[in-house]
Amino acid sequence: MSLKDTAYRFKEFWDDFRREKAGLVGLGILLFCLLVVIFEPVFLPYKDVNGNWRNISYWEDNTRAAPPVWTNLFSAKKSAVTVQIDEALVKEEFTKSERYPAGIDMRVYSFEYEYKYDLAPVDIILRTVADGNINMDIDVIRPDGQVVYVGSYTESGMQNTSLRFSIDTEGRSNVMNFVRERSSEFGINMSNTIGVRPTNIIFSELASDMFRARTPLKGTYTIRAKVPMTTLNVAGNNVDDVMLVVSGRVSGILGTDTSKRDLFSGIIAGLKWALFIGLITSIISVLIGVMYGIISAYFGGFVDTSMSFIWEIFVSVPVLPVLIVMSAIFKPSIWIIIASLIVFSWVGPVKTVRSMALQMKEETYIEAAKALGAGKWRIIFKHLAPLLLPYSFANMALAVPSTIIFEASLSLLGLGDPTIITWGQILHDAQSSGATLNGLWWWIVPPGLFIAVMGMTFAFLGFAMDKILHPKLRTR
Amino acid sequence: MYKWYALKRILRGVFMFALLMFLFSLLFNQVNERTQRTQIFEQVKLESQKLTNMRSDQMEAWRSHRLDQLIKQYKLDRPMLERVMFRAVNTVTFNFGKSTVIKSSRGEQEVLTILMEALPRTMLLFTTALVFQLGIGITLGLKKAQKPGGSLDKSTSFVTMIIFGMPTWWLGMMLILFFVYFLKLFPSGGLNSVPSPQGIMFLVDRLWHMALPVLTLVLLGFWGLSFVIRNIVLGILQEDYIMSARARGIPENKVLFGHTMRTAAPPLVTIALLSFLASFSGGIIFEGIFSWPGLGNLFWVAVQQNDIPVLMGDLALTTGLYQAGLVILDLTYGFLDPRIKVGGKA
Repeated sequence: MSLKDTAYRFKEFWDDFRREKAGLVGLGILLFCLLVVIFEPVFLPYKDVNGNWRNISYWEDNTRAAPPVWTNLFSAKKSAVTVQIDEALVKEEFTKSERYPAGIDMRVYSFEYEYKYDLAPVDIILRTVADGNINMDIDVIRPDGQVVYVGSYTESGMQNTSLRFSIDTEGRSNVMNFVRERSSEFGINMSNTIGVRPTNIIFSELASDMFRARTPLKGTYTIRAKVPMTTLNVAGNNVDDVMLVVSGRVSGILGTDTSKRDLFSGIIAGLKWALFIGLITSIISVLIGVMYGIISAYFGGFVDTSMSFIWEIFVSVPVLPVLIVMSAIFKPSIWIIIASLIVFSWVGPVKTVRSMALQMKEETYIEAAKALGAGKWRIIFKHLAPLLLPYSFANMALAVPSTIIFEASLSLLGLGDPTIITWGQILHDAQSSGATLNGLWWWIVPPGLFIAVMGMTFAFLGFAMDKILHPKLRTR
Repeated sequence: MYKWYALKRILRGVFMFALLMFLFSLLFNQVNERTQRTQIFEQVKLESQKLTNMRSDQMEAWRSHRLDQLIKQYKLDRPMLERVMFRAVNTVTFNFGKSTVIKSSRGEQEVLTILMEALPRTMLLFTTALVFQLGIGITLGLKKAQKPGGSLDKSTSFVTMIIFGMPTWWLGMMLILFFVYFLKLFPSGGLNSVPSPQGIMFLVDRLWHMALPVLTLVLLGFWGLSFVIRNIVLGILQEDYIMSARARGIPENKVLFGHTMRTAAPPLVTIALLSFLASFSGGIIFEGIFSWPGLGNLFWVAVQQNDIPVLMGDLALTTGLYQAGLVILDLTYGFLDPRIKVGGKA
């Protein structure tokens, strides 16, 4: 078959396909998914999610089990959103600080944070990379002019060391002092501080009983990190990459899980694996199945009998249980999982292809080819396979969802490849942390929904192609 | 003759099961032997602790003697092919040995007892679901086939495609989230409440626990079934004899149930059983979501506890059931298809 023939047949197919609305929708979603995979870095809020999914320290600035940001739209009390500010405003000025009450020349890194919510953020984290010996004072200027001293850092002998200052853990006592100085003795004695976070204090109006009843203080907050010039002027001492993370109560498009991981990043990163596993497995296994059927039909006799017997063995295997046991024992990588999926799923198209090939090999053009001296393999590859392959395209599309489900099921049992991110693994983590019984719906709904949408996409494509390629199923 | 056909098919099923067991014991030979050796060592250690009136060198001699004896008994000293064969024969005769961690409800460690305890529970769940699925699926499929391209046909086919790739266990998680966490209507899992009530309330309690898992299976199961039934029935409705039946003025319902369904019966039964087998093999881990202590949940537990004998036994039993299903499938097909019954070719 020449290129022109192929192009003609494809055009004919496309003319039919264009009329299938569901097929077009499927094609649209598939193309969109491919775009997302190609431009993955654009969509990822956390760029290094690949390879860091199980790295706890990569996610430590996030909030644990935070709902998605858009839940704010449906709640009366708005929760603070996670914000990351990479660029600090750097100024050198003469200013006072807790450690230098008389004032000294300081370099001040300041961040402005606009607080317009009802529920305070969970934590404020200051990160920097430093060399040599550094001391640093951190405070917050509130919209009402009050300055909250949260803590200081003194570290020596650093070499490109990452520093992390969390107000929630390291600033607790200083913030409590701030309240103690300003609120009434009675108010403090009457209230208990359990469950009160430092950020709760910082982001609420001053009152005598701040621990109990708090009204949010909205406005612009300035978080400052101050380093004395005297230390910075010493050679070898250096502060770099100062950045601020405000860990909100709601986070990201799809929230976070109990290990503080951003679920949206996980799901986007899992998309390419779902597509890859689904497509590569179904394409290869259907190709194998088609060739198997043709060869079995064309050679006939003993070859046919023995090939049918082997086929029967594979059909009699319950795939998922065998895959579970194999993965539990051999702890395979994703490549081995794909290979074993192929081993068990090539059986699908064999029977139909074999019976079609049995009819076809008696056609006159095959006889003509034989008369012209064409060999067996030439007839199989040049005359039978090109005609039979298109019929299996629908099979290919329809095999993708089950493949994705197989991989997801293995991952759900905790048998997936731990070096990659798949939707099944996210659901495994959700299941083992009891997300269903704790109502963490944003952890369960999206991964499964994406698996279902993937399945739907390929079902749309497959059923549309099925209708075109097997006209008998057309509705009258 | 149907008798011979049936016998032949059953024998082939048994042969296939034995062959698969041989392949499995070949594939998992190494890990099986490692587990068996550890179990033997444990057993000898346990036995030697009971012997108190022995000197240490006597003890050592006794221990190595006993080890030799057990290793001979389990044929671990034989060549590899013989060991594999020995284990395959053991599996085929349901001699699964003892589990390493998992115990049955009465504390026994026989793998067979553990499996036989789980089997009826799985059967209860899947057959109940199958009854509902068949009822809804056949009714819907016939309705769809009567008016192909109609609004009912189109809308249900659309739903079929939407749920085509939805994992059963995910729907289970969603239903738990909705019915257990938000509405607090059903229990989150398990077979019965603890402590389980007596008498008629026991049954009610069991049904209450079964509701969500069965609902999950049924909600996903009947769509595909009705779609396939529609295609089969639609193909038959286009045959000439149906048109002639209609032309003779036979009522539509009689055409549908008398003429069409009789011809459609063999493929229908095939599809029904096949979809049952598929949901059995594919949905098996969904039991774990509902902590329904059947065969599927046993896979889940055995994987987590790394209990190899139970894992192997469960695999063998599942494969056996799957084989039995395939055999029953062919037998009913042959029974319903007169061409096979009288000895012709299908």
